[in-house]
Amino acid sequence: MAMVDEPLYPIAVLIDELKNDDIQLRLNSIRRLSTIARALGEERTRKELIPFLSENSDDDDEVLLAMAEELGVFIPFVGGIEFAHVLLPPLESLCTVEETCVREKAVESLCKIGSQMKENDLVESFVPLVKRLAGGEWFAARVSACGIFHVAYQGCTDVLKTELRATYSQLCKDDMPMVRRAAASNLGKFATTVESTFLIAEIMTMFDDLTKDDQDSVRLLAVEGCAALGKLLEPQDCVARILPVIVNFSQDKSWRVRYMVANQLYELCEAVGPDCTRTDLVPAYVRLLRDNEAEVRIAAAGKVTKFCRLLNPELAIQHILPCVKELSSDSSQHVRSALASVIMGMAPILGKDSTIEHLLPIFLSLLKDEFPDVRLNIISKLDQVNQVIGIDLLSQSLLPAIVELAEDRHWRVRLAIIEYVPLLASQLGIGFFDDKLGALCMQWLQDKVYSIREAAANNLKRLAEEFGPEWAMQHLVPQVLDMVNNPHYLHRMMVLRAISLMAPVMGSEITCSKFLPVVVEASKDRVPNIKFNVAKLLQSLIPIVDQSVVDKTIRQCLVDLSEDPDVDVRYFANQALNSIDGSTAAQS
Amino acid sequence: MIKQIFGKLPRKPSKSSHNDSNPNGEGGVNSYYIPNSGISSISKPSSKSSASNSNGANGTVIAPSSTSSNRTNQVNGVYEALPSFRDVPTSEKPNLFIKKLSMCCVVFDFNDPSKNLREKEIKRQTLLELVDYIATVSTKLSDAAMQEIAKVAVVNLFRTFPSANHESKILETLDVDDEEPALEPAWPHLQVVYELLLRFVASPMTDAKLAKRYIDHSFVLKLLDLFDSEDQREREYLKTILHRIYGKFMVHRPFIRKAINNIFYRFIFETEKHNGIAELLEILGSIINGFALPLKEEHKLFLIRALIPLHRPKCASAYHQQLSYCIVQFVEKDFKLADTVIRGLLKYWPVTNSSKEVMFLGELEEVLEATQAAEFQRCMVPLFRQIARCLNSSHFQVAERALFLWNNDHIRNLITQNHKVIMPIVFPAMERNTRGHWNQAVQSLTLNVRKVMAETDQILFDECLAKFQEDEANETEVVAKREATWKLLEELAASKSVSNEAVLVPRFSSSVTLATGKTSGS
Repeated sequence: MAMVDEPLYPIAVLIDELKNDDIQLRLNSIRRLSTIARALGEERTRKELIPFLSENSDDDDEVLLAMAEELGVFIPFVGGIEFAHVLLPPLESLCTVEETCVREKAVESLCKIGSQMKENDLVESFVPLVKRLAGGEWFAARVSACGIFHVAYQGCTDVLKTELRATYSQLCKDDMPMVRRAAASNLGKFATTVESTFLIAEIMTMFDDLTKDDQDSVRLLAVEGCAALGKLLEPQDCVARILPVIVNFSQDKSWRVRYMVANQLYELCEAVGPDCTRTDLVPAYVRLLRDNEAEVRIAAAGKVTKFCRLLNPELAIQHILPCVKELSSDSSQHVRSALASVIMGMAPILGKDSTIEHLLPIFLSLLKDEFPDVRLNIISKLDQVNQVIGIDLLSQSLLPAIVELAEDRHWRVRLAIIEYVPLLASQLGIGFFDDKLGALCMQWLQDKVYSIREAAANNLKRLAEEFGPEWAMQHLVPQVLDMVNNPHYLHRMMVLRAISLMAPVMGSEITCSKFLPVVVEASKDRVPNIKFNVAKLLQSLIPIVDQSVVDKTIRQCLVDLSEDPDVDVRYFANQALNSIDGSTAAQS
Repeated sequence: MIKQIFGKLPRKPSKSSHNDSNPNGEGGVNSYYIPNSGISSISKPSSKSSASNSNGANGTVIAPSSTSSNRTNQVNGVYEALPSFRDVPTSEKPNLFIKKLSMCCVVFDFNDPSKNLREKEIKRQTLLELVDYIATVSTKLSDAAMQEIAKVAVVNLFRTFPSANHESKILETLDVDDEEPALEPAWPHLQVVYELLLRFVASPMTDAKLAKRYIDHSFVLKLLDLFDSEDQREREYLKTILHRIYGKFMVHRPFIRKAINNIFYRFIFETEKHNGIAELLEILGSIINGFALPLKEEHKLFLIRALIPLHRPKCASAYHQQLSYCIVQFVEKDFKLADTVIRGLLKYWPVTNSSKEVMFLGELEEVLEATQAAEFQRCMVPLFRQIARCLNSSHFQVAERALFLWNNDHIRNLITQNHKVIMPIVFPAMERNTRGHWNQAVQSLTLNVRKVMAETDQILFDECLAKFQEDEANETEVVAKREATWKLLEELAASKSVSNEAVLVPRFSSSVTLATGKTSGS
């Protein structure tokens, strides 16, 4: 089409596209906003494009989301930092829409822009925006406001700072729980920017209010702020103001609040110092480890290593270890699973003797757990177990667990085990592997689930790498090649897959003498899928073998396949032939 | 219902059994509250001293669930039944009532069914007697009695629900999506407590002006929290009770509405998880029904800010029937709201969820039934764009439902009156359907509607057909033109940035990741 001579109005293109009924088109054009801006130039972007966008906040949320994101990186297109303020109005109106993810994105973009703005502009345009949002009629604006206070506060005047703190304190007491929740979850972020004199006097008062809120959901978020605030305060203030709150929360009626405490507690230990940890937080933590609600125990169990790291070994053995023992036979498998995923890390903390005395029995009992996830979590930290208990004990207790997991009815569990086999093999050594695991590796090749078969083939390759071609020649290749006569074509296909993975490791000689005959034989299979996979495989073998073999065997086989009645077989055969020609051409 | 409960109980002759279980005459009723049972000399239930003593003890009731980690509530005192109401003189009854109430402030652990069996049964009996008493009492309830009833409710009912995957034993059913809702193990007791509370708020002997000191904002808030219970029986009781409170305590009405709104907002915008939305909407349905005309601005805002967005969450099917009832009530009360409602539906129209789409179409039809011509005209363009998309849905129920709109006399009239606007919008969709919708029923329904359109305005029909064929022919051209325009823009942009070196033009990775950013109202 001869459009070159027609005048082009970038804004008009955008307006036109945004009118389209198809949301995909509208989205596409919003995502190319930068193109339009560049085509317009900085000045017209400021004067035409941005005002247009400010008024266009009535589209689908998906389009608005894209717009909120694009505007966050728009500073270069409006002429740099000194013009950043022109981006604020469209983002402000996006901050007031109902849809949460649009608002969050707009807040994110505002933060990005605000943090780059010069102090003067911040005072002149950003702070008033924060105040407008904070005084918004509907909760959406006020919720958004909570997320940008920390940007506005840095680098504005003392008078404004006082005003901002007062406004934030209002938001903490807002009529709507939605707003109080937003204020609670952003309090930590805001507090990091506030001067330490006001921390105790004002921020902590807001915090106290929030922790006494009558809605669980608000208190919950207040707990989240505990650790963040604690780190900002002087240790003695933290002990005086935060510690009582957290100890209180650890006994809250609502398990969700206790759950949050369990997640945060170890961070608080750092803030309050070792003495208070011993006297106040250890008892609180022990309570949480024995909580009524499984969710809380899960969270607490998952932090047990981190927590112990903060204590001296005696304390850990005296207070925490008894709980760990209880948890290892907890009625909830999720608790045991959480414990299993971290318990290995306790070994270095306790030292070798205590580990053998106290932890080993727990490892072993978790390793025999009826729930596969628990066993898996232990096995996945095998290298650590090895260091702690030594290879003999490990192999004795481990093997039954592995064999069982290898046949687990959840395929994801089987998959996870397969992925650990090479690691196991390297740790346990050839002899052990031959006896016990070899058969399993072959069994997986014929699994009902494709992902398992695929992983099994990959496993063979990694084993060949680990133990070398000679060993693989003896222990893997014959078994794999046997499968080529399997009546099920999917299993025959796995042979091809295994060959394609192993050939590079095994090298040219074995490939030619062992693999190639099998592959050529397979090219006469009655199933087309096998045949075109032969074609693909042959193509992958070309770089491995000698040119003479390519010319003698592979090319002939491919030529035969390229005359196959099946269209796909012909296609892949031709592709392989082309690549032979290509490589010959490159060489000559 | 409560009669049935009574029927199943073996009524034991309370007096004698009571004496039997106190061989040493030491059955201090309130001794639970006073750990040192030596002090409690209130063994003789009929004695005057016991009455005064137990009143004193009321103040010292320990809220048994005040700490989290008490896995069980140890009953360390002796927990014995009090005499029956029938066995005391009328003048004693109010005092006995209060004593029985404070007895019921002890909470037992129901997670272990074998624990405190005897005490549980005693408490259940006592609760049943209380329910019976409150139903038959013919004098106004005293302040102390009301306080104590509220306390029984607070202590027994207000609790935090366990987490959803608490049941660790059911290993095998983990993969199953539709889990059975958890049933409350303490239900045999809770039910009677609920019954007590219900009778209390419903009783004509309860003076709302006095009772509001105990049925206060915090009480209402906690009661609302319970609507998240997984146990349907519990939610049923809550619904009835809250409705009665709303009816009786006029001062609380704005607060209750506001609190329900807050639950909705949290559900819609934050969690999308709540078990009691349907029940809350049922209450609101009857509240809306009673709204006076003209509608207050506050109520219209409630429609726009809470009810319409309730269409958004994934699980809207769980409460759609109740929601739809509320919405239609609004439109029937004030037909001017139809336009707002329809635009709201369009905003939250499902993109991939066909069964939800069918529900939306059902609701739309009901709303359209109550829509007048003026409001219809205001929203018909976006509306019929959406309907056109539905007509082409490959889910036959969606297409069918959309076509059924033409079967409705009122709606068909509205369409016919505005066919000049509507026909060009829906025509392409109709045409595509007749050419090749996989479903036979959809095809034939489309043909019918197409015939109706042709009969309405043959000339416009032919124009539409011609335009459709032309558009079809130009389709690739339009796409090519669009691409060319954008290419030109790119070039223009590139040339500008070359000429002005100061402008840095990073290729934002952000715009690539956008595609996965959001899935709207499915």
